[in-house]
Amino acid sequence: MNATLAPTRAQSSAGRTTFAALVVHELRRFVVNPVFLFAVAFTAWTTWGNPSTSVTDIDEVNWYPAISLGGFGMMATFWLTRSMRHSEPVVGVTPTGLPVRSAALCTVAVVPFLCGVLTLLAFLHYHPLDARVYGAFSPPAQVAVLVGQIVLPSLGGPLLGVALGRWVRFPGAAFVALLFLFGWGNLSTVPSLTHPDSTAATALRLFAPFTHFTFTNNGTEMTTWPGSPWFFIGWQLALCAIAVLVALLRGAHSRPRTRIVRTLQIVLVVAAIMFVLAVGGGFTHAIHAR
Amino acid sequence: MIRSMLRAGAWPAVTGVSGAAVVLGGCGVAFPAATTALFPIAFTLLAAAAAFALDEPASLVVDVTPTGPARRTGIRALALLAPLAAGAVLILAGTMRGLALPWAATGLALAGNVVLGFAVACVVRTHTGEPGAAASATVVLILMAPTLLPAVARRVSTFPTSGRDGLSSNTVWWTVLAVSVAAVAVSVSGRPRLRWMSGLR
Repeated sequence: MNATLAPTRAQSSAGRTTFAALVVHELRRFVVNPVFLFAVAFTAWTTWGNPSTSVTDIDEVNWYPAISLGGFGMMATFWLTRSMRHSEPVVGVTPTGLPVRSAALCTVAVVPFLCGVLTLLAFLHYHPLDARVYGAFSPPAQVAVLVGQIVLPSLGGPLLGVALGRWVRFPGAAFVALLFLFGWGNLSTVPSLTHPDSTAATALRLFAPFTHFTFTNNGTEMTTWPGSPWFFIGWQLALCAIAVLVALLRGAHSRPRTRIVRTLQIVLVVAAIMFVLAVGGGFTHAIHAR
Repeated sequence: MIRSMLRAGAWPAVTGVSGAAVVLGGCGVAFPAATTALFPIAFTLLAAAAAFALDEPASLVVDVTPTGPARRTGIRALALLAPLAAGAVLILAGTMRGLALPWAATGLALAGNVVLGFAVACVVRTHTGEPGAAASATVVLILMAPTLLPAVARRVSTFPTSGRDGLSSNTVWWTVLAVSVAAVAVSVSGRPRLRWMSGLR
């Protein structure tokens, strides 16, 4: 029995070593990517170097990290993924399959995620929890709002970049996706401005990877919209998992492919449940406070 | 020759990105509250579409043919009609919907965006046969700067909306048009590359 198992163990150990080496290699490439460095510098400037004391609503400032670490991070990982396309005829014949290489690329998203966590801590330092700028949520829910607006977009954007890089051949797909998500984020918020209590407007607003939970009318009246920040985090995590699985699906064959497809189906169901709970949770109607 | 040069163009990229711009801008027309947010994004996409007009996968062969860069660029510039037409459709739809935008200034912004994308592509084309990806990303980053950087937004307006301080949209786009035309002229004139440009290779 030991003789049968020994080669399998050796193979899996070698596989782990190869994967670790790939991760280190991809991390090295990612952290020196000019787009990512720009994103980090921009986030640092908007969060650390430029603290505003006159912020009347966190919505004025909390989307910068999402755009920079998430949006530009997506462009960086997209290019990182595509950069190997020309050497695919050579790399493709190595024993390391495409899903393993995709997994190594997905692991790179840990870097912008950690940057997002640091940004969150800095954000809380410069903009302490306060119902006047964060809305009528409890303090833990206020932190949950920030996690969904700063940390998770920083993780999801780069993962989406890997998935796009694996499946879309068009070289400009990343910036088209960035502009589309940016436009969708603006558009999906519009109905909530005029119909803050509407469930349909809430559903539309939350059907995005980034959303706002509050609105300030020229700094005079703070409106806290319906919707649960906690379940919105669950929805975002499900979106991240979908991005990873879609990236891994490229080049997967036979049993691994079946497993990935099955997991993807489960995650899609979880995403749907999280979305429904996010829409139905939180306040039942908009809270207005002067 | 004109037909074969046009056939070799990156039409899927140019028309695809222009189509995406029409979809986003169309949402801006349908929801007037989001017009001032979505029209600049749509115009940015049109600028990115224009940046793909010069993509030439067979540049190693094409660049050594007797047809000069000025003529090749001129023919490929016809592809700009796609993003310009897409923008014109958006402006027309906005006018018919009765949106309160200064349409002459919006038209100038459209032309400026598209010409900027093409000019950046012309400059990058002196280094690579397929400048689209790099040029479009550069253009998107430039055009998103006023959205991302409040300090820039206070000084420069890239879309004609009321209540903005600093340089007006018209001033910005007339300047961009002038600089872009000069950049295109220099890049297609066949002059030897500048030393710093050669160093980038």
